[in-house]
Order: sequence, then structure tokens, then C-alpha cells
Amino acid sequence: MPSSREAMVHRGDEDEVCPVCKSSRYLNPDMRFLINPECYHKMCESCVDRIFSSGPANCPVAGCHKTLRKNRFRKQTFEDINVEREVDIRRRVMTVLNRREEEFDSKLDWDNFLEQREEMIFNLVNKVDVAKTEANLQKYAADNMSSIRANQALEAKEVTSFQERQNQEQELARMRRQAAREEYENERKEILAGREDVLTRLASGQPADAAAIAREGQKVILKKSSARRSEEERIRQKQAALRGTDAKKPGQTTATTAEEAGSGLIKGLKKVKTPEPEKPYDPFGGMVPNKRDYYSLQDDYPSSYLDPIRQDHRMLAGGYDLQEYYSRTLLEAFAGLGCFIDEEVSKREANSFNFVKPVGTHGALAATPGSQGDK
Amino acid sequence: MTVSPLVPPSPSAVAHRKSAGSETARTTQGNESPLQQVQPVADREITEQLNDEVRHKYIKAKKLGEGTYAVVYLGHLRTDPSSFVAIKKIKVNTEYKDGLSMDAIREVKYLQELRHPNIIALHDVFSSKDQNLNLVLEYLPRGDLEMLIKDSNVHYGVADVKAWMAMLARGVWFCHENFVLHRDIKPNNLLIASDGEVKLADFGLARSFADPYLNMTHQVITRWYRPPELLYGARQYSGAVDIWSVGMVFAELLLRVPFVAGNSDLDQITKICEAFGTPTEENWPSVSKLPNYIPTDGNHLVPLQGRDFFLRHFPTAGPVGADLLMSMCALDPRKRSTAYQALQHSWWSTEPRPTNKEDLPRKSGGTKKMGDDLTRRGGELDDQFKNAARQLDFAAMKG
Repeated sequence: MPSSREAMVHRGDEDEVCPVCKSSRYLNPDMRFLINPECYHKMCESCVDRIFSSGPANCPVAGCHKTLRKNRFRKQTFEDINVEREVDIRRRVMTVLNRREEEFDSKLDWDNFLEQREEMIFNLVNKVDVAKTEANLQKYAADNMSSIRANQALEAKEVTSFQERQNQEQELARMRRQAAREEYENERKEILAGREDVLTRLASGQPADAAAIAREGQKVILKKSSARRSEEERIRQKQAALRGTDAKKPGQTTATTAEEAGSGLIKGLKKVKTPEPEKPYDPFGGMVPNKRDYYSLQDDYPSSYLDPIRQDHRMLAGGYDLQEYYSRTLLEAFAGLGCFIDEEVSKREANSFNFVKPVGTHGALAATPGSQGDK
Repeated sequence: MTVSPLVPPSPSAVAHRKSAGSETARTTQGNESPLQQVQPVADREITEQLNDEVRHKYIKAKKLGEGTYAVVYLGHLRTDPSSFVAIKKIKVNTEYKDGLSMDAIREVKYLQELRHPNIIALHDVFSSKDQNLNLVLEYLPRGDLEMLIKDSNVHYGVADVKAWMAMLARGVWFCHENFVLHRDIKPNNLLIASDGEVKLADFGLARSFADPYLNMTHQVITRWYRPPELLYGARQYSGAVDIWSVGMVFAELLLRVPFVAGNSDLDQITKICEAFGTPTEENWPSVSKLPNYIPTDGNHLVPLQGRDFFLRHFPTAGPVGADLLMSMCALDPRKRSTAYQALQHSWWSTEPRPTNKEDLPRKSGGTKKMGDDLTRRGGELDDQFKNAARQLDFAAMKG
């Protein structure tokens, strides 16, 4: 493909001249022109080799002082250098501003975004507010690094999956064609075989049976072909169903891109929930172990009541632990502190009004010993 | 804090109510006799009224399971048909004609006090006709851990085991923190809620502990999960008995078969000795003083198993997990880690992170299983082991 186009290009301008070394195509038919997206000045390959092989250098075109590098030189795609430049700019902006429609709240926001993007491209192409636009673009790129990456990856995936799908479809079509061809062959063979069969039977049979035999032969052929047709129909339906499920799949892959929406440049982005960074696992499930508000536990409490137990090895061997006794005793002694029955009752009352008949509430209140005298 | 609807109202409250209700009954405050005559009637009325009120809050739908001890129904709130509950109706037991069975009392007593995400919630209690006790329990539709362990179609990894173990350990820790021993921890008492949360159920054998001069029975905990001190007949023990069961559940989750499954109590202690080492005076001081201690002759002494044993048998847990299991399976209850220590272990924070409860492996058919689980009597094994079920020695238990 490129060769034919090149040939066309070459044919047109026999007298094309490299603006740097002035060698013409007439003398050098293999001459290739390269451009650098820095300034888009055209020069021939040998000039690029000559000037930039030893590192970056200034553009040799008079008045252009851009520093160019050899590795940025490439072939021109479009004949018009302005088109080439616009396509380059567009590509660059698009890779940065690569938001997708799913990421926007409404169609209007998406359209606004597209317009904004076009405006930026226009500005860059026509050199309006270049510095400001560039700054905006760079700031956006820095702020939204991760979402840009994610969208790029998504796009790449879509492209590959699209190609895969196309390949698959082609393969399927090829197989279908082959199957059809084979079928046709088989059918023909069968018809021939059937005909031969009828002929041999006619030859060996009696003349009176002739009509019957011929009819039978016809019937067999018909039956076979109708069976085949229904079989074909079945296969076709199956394939259609398969295609249906295939078509659904790619839709799921583009479902969500969860990234922070923190760009001031683009409006109307969906508030994307960032998954909270996983907290370290808490084996206690949010409860505070050893929380004691009113007392602290000692290791030992002298008590003659407990002395026999300290000596009882049988009890201790069974795992009995006096610490637990201390702990429980203290817990129970202090358990009532900080409990306010009045408050609990009024709270419960408020709750119970929501779903219990008022009669029951009176009953519950009346049944609570603490509700009257306790203060 | 739930207040049992069965709490009898104080006389003052009744009097107060009456004064608000009927003018005629209370003519003078000083006149005692009419008040006393009326009071028993009013007393019955109000308890009945309260009971009916609770009873009418729920609608029993269908039966989920029936056992010798209880029937479990699926029910829902009258006001909200989507809020399911399990109603466990305790059968009027032939053994306890004059009162309620011990299991039911224990269950109500302790479940009422304990409120924790990893402990089955008791919403309400009411009595239905013929004085049957009905417990309104949290509905846990996704079966139990035993079902998942036994089903070879269910695949789970160490992250899942870690999540389940953490939930179990949390529940046990909460019980112990409130001085309640569960005393029947085993995979089919660990029910799974619809969100995947593991909940400790069946408090039929639970009791409070740490009272120094109250003996407790040693005939508790299903045999395979029973710790050596109970097999040796200790009458005073601590939360360590539950931790042994937790360790056994841990081992079973990793191996997918019960780790030490004895046919009899004696077989059980033999198997424990073979697996973990023989208890001696060195590794378990004064073990020989325990009532049912059986001295092992010197030839068959199995040395106490070290870390490498656990690493070899439970490679999936990893070195840190094996260390935790080892700390739960210490023969000497004093050396066994407590629930609190277990939760502080570094295994929970090592990779892999415990699976989120929503993502844990699941299996259908849990509703029926819940019915079966809740109708079982404490300390019983399922079907094929029915004969092995132990009779509880209630006479020996006080409190």
C-alpha cells in the first residue's frame, strides 16, 4: 500500500527538490522526505542523516531555530503539511483528554466536553493562546494520570477485542462457506447414487414395477434433502444464538472506570466512587478489648476466701483461673454504672411507638420495675 | 439489652396501671381487700397481654425442621413479610413435665444477654398455647460450616478459613468476655447468615463460669471437640475448653475431616494423646490429680508435639497459622491461648487477608440445615452418631 502511494507521489514531482541540500528527485529517484513534528520543515533522508546523526541540532531551514532530534523524524502522511500538523496535535490532545462517554452525567456534559476538546485543538492548530492551552493540558495530564492510563488501557483492549471478533467472524464465515460447499457436493453425490440405484433396480425388476420404483427413488431423495434442510436450520439457529452471546460480551468490559474525578478542566464528570483503601484487618471486629471505664484489674487480690483455691492443684490443672474470677467479680460490681434506666426507657418508648400498638406500650412501661421510682 | 417479656410486673406498676384504667376498681387507696382480690387477675392479664403482643408480632410460616427437642419454623414479622425470623418452639419435654428443659432455660438466659454480630440474635421469647416456649431467633439461611466442610463441590482456600475462624474467634471472645462458656462449639453449631457472617448458635449447653466453689459438669461439648481436661473429668475449668473446640474446628476446616474423632471417651483421649502427645506431669503439672485421669504406661508415651508437627499436618495454614493452631491445641488448659490472645495473633494480619464475608463460598439448601441444627439437642452428633449422644448429667450441674 505505501509503495503505490509513494510511487504516485513520486511520479507527480520529478523536479522535487530537497529544500536543504537542493538535490532533486531527478538525480536521486530514491529520495525520501522526512519531517519533524517540531517545525514540520521537510528535508530529505540523507540530510537528516548528515545533520542529526551526531545528536540534536538546529533546523537547517533559514529562520527556524528549533532544535531537532533524529529520532523524531518521520515520513509525512498527508501531502498538506498543515493537515499533518493538525492530525498530530489532535492525536496528542486526544490521548490526554481521553474521557469516555460513560464517565459523564449527561449527554450535554459529554457534548460540552467534546466541544471543549475541539476548541483546544483549534487553539493549538491556529496558535491562539497556545501557552495557556498547553498549560491547561499539562496540568490536566498531571492531575488525571491514572484515569488517562485506565482509559488508554480500555481503548487498547477494545481495539484488540474488536480485531479478535473480526477474525473470529471471518473464520466462521469461511467455515460456513466450506460447509455449504461440502453439503452441495454430498447432495449431488447422493442424487447420482439414488439415480443409479433406481436404474439398477429398474433394470433388474419387472416392467410393471417401474413407476413405483421411480416414485420411491424420488421420495427418498426428497426426504433426505428435507432432513438436511432442517438440520441446516438448526445449526444456523445455534450459530445465531452464539453470535448473540458474543455480541453481548464486549459491552460488559467497558462498564466502569473508577477513578477520582478531580479535574477542574472538565465539568459534569460522574462522581466516581473511589474504593476506599482497605483498612488493616481488625480481628476484634471494631470492638475495643479490655475496655474498663471504672476500674483496673490487679494481678492478685488477697482473700482468705480464695486461699484454698490457690492451693488446689486439681482445680488449677483443669484450667480454672482465679484471674477470671477477679475479672468477673469486678465486671459485675461495676456493670450498673453508666446505665441510666430512665433514658433507656424513654428511648425504648420512642422506638416502640413506631410499630407496637399504644396499649402494648403502656403495658411495657407498666411492666418495667424501674420506670416509676428509679431516679 | 432486651428485657424478657416474661418479667413479672411489679405490684406498684399494676396498681398504677389500674388507676389509669378503671376508676371503679380503685375507690380508696387505703382499702386493701379489693385490690388484693383484683391483683392476681390483673397480674395474669398483663403478662398474657404482653405475651400475646409479642406472639402477634410474628407469623409462623412453614416448618423448617423437627427434632426430639424442638421444632423450628420459618416466620416473619406481621408488619414486614420480608423480615424473616426462625421460631424455635421447644417441645414440652416428657422428662421435665413440671417445668422447662434445662437447654431452653440456658439458651434464653444467655442469648438474651449476648448481642454480637457473631452470635445468633434472640429477638423475642413468647409462649404459645399449651405453655410451649418459643424463641424468636435470627434467620440464618445459609446453612452451617459443617455443610461446607463436607461438600466436596465447595472449594475454599486459606483466606476463607481465616475469615471464618476470625468470626468464630470473635464470637467466642465476646462470650468469654461476658463470662459465658458456650460448651458446644462444633461446625454444625456455626450457622451462616445471608451476608456470610458466621454466627455461634445453640446455647443449650452454655453457662457462666469463674465461680470458684461451683462445680461444673465435665459431660459437655460434643466428643470430637472436647478438650482433654473435660475427658479427664475436671469440674472446674475456664474458657480454655471452648478454645480447644475452636482449635478442632480450625483443624477440621483445614483438613475437611474431623481431626481427632474418637468412638468413645476413652478412644477420644487415646486419639488426642496420639495426635498431640501424652499429658504428663511435666507438660501439664498436676494433671494426674484430675478425677478421671488415666495414667499411660511409660512405653506408649508420645512426646508433646512441636511446631513441626503442626506444620507438617496443616501445611495450608502456613507457619503462622500452624502456630496459632498449636497455641489453641495446648494440652494444658493454662498454656492454651485465650480467645483474646488468639485474636491478637499475627495470623490475622499476615497474607492472605481474610476473605470479605460477602465473597465467602456458599451453598444452597441452608434453610433446611438451619432447621436441623436448631432442633438438635446440645452435645449431639448428627444422624449416624445418634447413639453416641451423651446423656447430660444435670444433677451434677448447679446454676
